[in-house]
Amino acid sequence: MASDLPPPRSIPNDAAAEEPTRKPRGAPEAAVRLRRVTKRFGSTTAVDGVSLTIDMGSVYGLIGPNGAGKTTTFAMMAGYLRPSEGSLEVLGFAPAAVDDLRSRIGVLPQDALLPASDEVGEFLVHLARLQDVPPTKAVATARRALADVQGSDWWRQRCGSLSHGMAKRVALAQAFLGDPDVVLLDEPTAGLDPRVAWEVRQFIKTKRGRSSIVISSHNLQELEEICDAAAILDRGRVVAAGRMAELTASNDEVRVKVGRGTQRGGAPGSVSMQALRDLPTVKAVEFDDEALEIVVRFERKQADAETVIGQVLWTLLQNQVRISGVTKGRGLEQRVMDLT
Amino acid sequence: MSPLTEIRLVALRELRRGVRSAKGIALGVLTLLGAFVTSLVCVWIEGADRAKNLADSTQAYVALKRQLLEEATGDASFASYISSIPTSLLIFLKITVWLSPLLVALLGFDAVSGELQHRSVRFWTVRVRRWSYLAGKLVGLWALVGLVTLALNLLAGTVALVRGYVTPAELVQWGVRFWLVDLVIVGAWAAVATFISSCFRTPILALLTTFATFFVSWIAGAGGFISRQRHATDPGIALHMAWYEYFYPNAYDTLLLSPETWKVFTAFAILVGFAGITLAAGSFVFQRRDI
Repeated sequence: MASDLPPPRSIPNDAAAEEPTRKPRGAPEAAVRLRRVTKRFGSTTAVDGVSLTIDMGSVYGLIGPNGAGKTTTFAMMAGYLRPSEGSLEVLGFAPAAVDDLRSRIGVLPQDALLPASDEVGEFLVHLARLQDVPPTKAVATARRALADVQGSDWWRQRCGSLSHGMAKRVALAQAFLGDPDVVLLDEPTAGLDPRVAWEVRQFIKTKRGRSSIVISSHNLQELEEICDAAAILDRGRVVAAGRMAELTASNDEVRVKVGRGTQRGGAPGSVSMQALRDLPTVKAVEFDDEALEIVVRFERKQADAETVIGQVLWTLLQNQVRISGVTKGRGLEQRVMDLT
Repeated sequence: MSPLTEIRLVALRELRRGVRSAKGIALGVLTLLGAFVTSLVCVWIEGADRAKNLADSTQAYVALKRQLLEEATGDASFASYISSIPTSLLIFLKITVWLSPLLVALLGFDAVSGELQHRSVRFWTVRVRRWSYLAGKLVGLWALVGLVTLALNLLAGTVALVRGYVTPAELVQWGVRFWLVDLVIVGAWAAVATFISSCFRTPILALLTTFATFFVSWIAGAGGFISRQRHATDPGIALHMAWYEYFYPNAYDTLLLSPETWKVFTAFAILVGFAGITLAAGSFVFQRRDI
């Protein structure tokens, strides 16, 4: 009988009332989308017709030299700057649609100072409240965000008294406050000592998969380590974009540095080069005399890079070639140098 | 989240910041010290006026003022109303109203420009509508200056009460009214200061522009006042500049203290409209600017 059934479980009213009133999350096609975005400052064109699509859940890098337009592009994504032409969407909304994006986007601006007279805790609680976190949960949310960046001890400290590294981590905490869907990070490790920079990188890695993260940075090694995909900008234009493996050709080539003192004053002998060409997975082999580097290109459908590395090293060692290093692809740094 | 909640949260933070900052504390202490001295001077002026007119009791002094005003205006009810206002408090009100733009400028010039300069504003604009942010800053500044003027009025009222020039009932009746007059006028000045502050990244430029704007407004008010006075003494002189007075928010204090309700509401509506239009203009500009 129906009356004998236990009553359906329901959320108590007070608990429901404490739930943050977040917008229902649909499934936007992209975390961020730019369509032919241009930004001019007077007669200077900082960003020139940039189109990008950043997938949900990815960690995406914006790369480029000074003046490439990455910070301007970043600032338009965050709604700080208005594009002169073109359109931008974050989770399907214009960046200025604050009410739609509230608590769904977090931003770490590069050069924004924390309000000096605010205590760290009250600043984060205030921002949490503005993100629609209920008063009863705002303190806990802020404390969790601060603990995530190992800053629990700074709760009562004035923002103005924090060191650069501490301030950066507090700024990082506010960016990830409430686990937003999209987080934009502008130079997250700029000016940090190596240890703090490493800790920040580890922190960002822990957020991988929970948020779509866009990182604008000069630090190419950092981006190569963290990002799934990236766009390389130069003079306001995108000169290359794609998955990190495509940009660095890490799935298409293997580079082997050979030591001095190998055959013919540094170059591997023709026998060993021919032996490499004869490998079934290898498509082409080149030797760079100046860099003392063998570039082996292979068909990614036939073998992965690790298999090819094993075959290449085995062949070279059999031919008594001295090896000083092996890399998959050419490295992001080299790629950026080639393109910009 | 509703814009009102955003405004409330931003305003409360602004108020907290203002009360806690070194600038806020220093200005507060200086203002209160200055107000204490001023209130003593106001009481001294009333005392001297009473002595000059040989009014040895408050009733006799009020009666004398009523008689003089009735002779001057020919309006018995108006004379009766104005003469009932404690003189020292009225003088103090005139001084606080005159100085309130200075207080607003000093407390509010960096409300937005300071956060634009250091780009701290970027922490807010991804969470708050820009116009709510601006309105929150305005309300915060308004509340802060409102609290300071409340303290000033309490101080002046206490001095007049101790001297025996007002009764507690008169103090409540007129003190609250004077403070409300202050509050409405301060709202208009605060809107202008917030608007100007949102236009500059450099706080000192915002301060100078605020002072310049307030000074131009004061000149307009003074021009209007002089024109009206000249017309009063010689009706043959045209009232060319009289309407300039209405660009000066302080000029509305007389209307706000009028015994006629419609005048009070008209002045109130004009000042609220002035603040609203200024805020709307500021929001329009702030919404479109790069930060």
